[in-house]
Amino acid sequence: MTVAFEDIQTGQEIAPLVKGPLGTMHLMRWSAAMENWHRIHYDRTFAKEHDKLPDILINGSLKQQFVLQFLKDWAGRDGWVWKVSFQFRAMNLVDETLDIWARVKDKRDIGPYGLVELEIGIRNAAGLESTPGSATIALPHRNGSPVPYPFRPSA
Amino acid sequence: MIEGLEKFIGIQSEWETACDAVEPGAVRRFTQAIMDDDDAYAPKAATRFGAPVAPPLYPMMMFRRPHGAPDPLRIHGNDPDFDGLGQSSSLTRGLPEIEPLAGYALLNGGTEVELFRYARHGETIRMRSRYADITEKETSKGPIVLVTTESEFATPDGEVLLRARRTLIRRKPK
Repeated sequence: MTVAFEDIQTGQEIAPLVKGPLGTMHLMRWSAAMENWHRIHYDRTFAKEHDKLPDILINGSLKQQFVLQFLKDWAGRDGWVWKVSFQFRAMNLVDETLDIWARVKDKRDIGPYGLVELEIGIRNAAGLESTPGSATIALPHRNGSPVPYPFRPSA
Repeated sequence: MIEGLEKFIGIQSEWETACDAVEPGAVRRFTQAIMDDDDAYAPKAATRFGAPVAPPLYPMMMFRRPHGAPDPLRIHGNDPDFDGLGQSSSLTRGLPEIEPLAGYALLNGGTEVELFRYARHGETIRMRSRYADITEKETSKGPIVLVTTESEFATPDGEVLLRARRTLIRRKPK
């Protein structure tokens, strides 16, 4: 199911994707899947005593997968996530639950499809925003053709 | 600026081919780890993408230690200060170590990506990167160095799947 460009309103909030609580098993599984052995993501003693961190950190590389999953699912099969930008401004610690969220900032019709500009981020249960950013999503018109794939930006 | 940093700006790596093609098993472990059950990632998926595919950022994670390459655990496994990462970070793959920052902690500061196509199961992916910028910054927690890299991920025939601009935060250990 793909949302149509015409159905999008500026200011609209998108239902968040919730991930977690993300415990050490989640983080170890991710480290193993991507073969990244950075100790701050599974070795509490190293994280706290060597790197002086408050606890084990949730991987930024895992958080960015969540952002892409959220945007991809919202764009649907006929849409396309074109650009995504985010900063890791604050740490997320093991056992936190993350809400991946977005709000429509702007939209413009460029002919064969529409482009939607989103403000995005990741908040924990305490409301801390850790990963602010933006995204540009290409959406098809209602009753129109899917966004071209592979995606080649229109002039 | 810390002496010797400027000379790294603009250095570009050679094209490097990932040691493994897009393996269905590796995609399965990856998608299970991110908890995304999208059926486009499953073997025999039939979607408008034309073939089973990997998640959008999967190519960025494909550049791992090839068979026979030096094992960092054999070299550093008994070093209590080894962070487990060293130069194996995918963030700086193919680029020379920035010697003046040796021993500095590394954190992922953020990413900008531009996406054009998903990687297909069985496909070979290659990448190249460059140090786009290196700057020092004073923060409330002390000085940091921001290292910006730009990478392209493409097929062997040159079709670009995605471009990424990443910021690494390097901090001197206390």
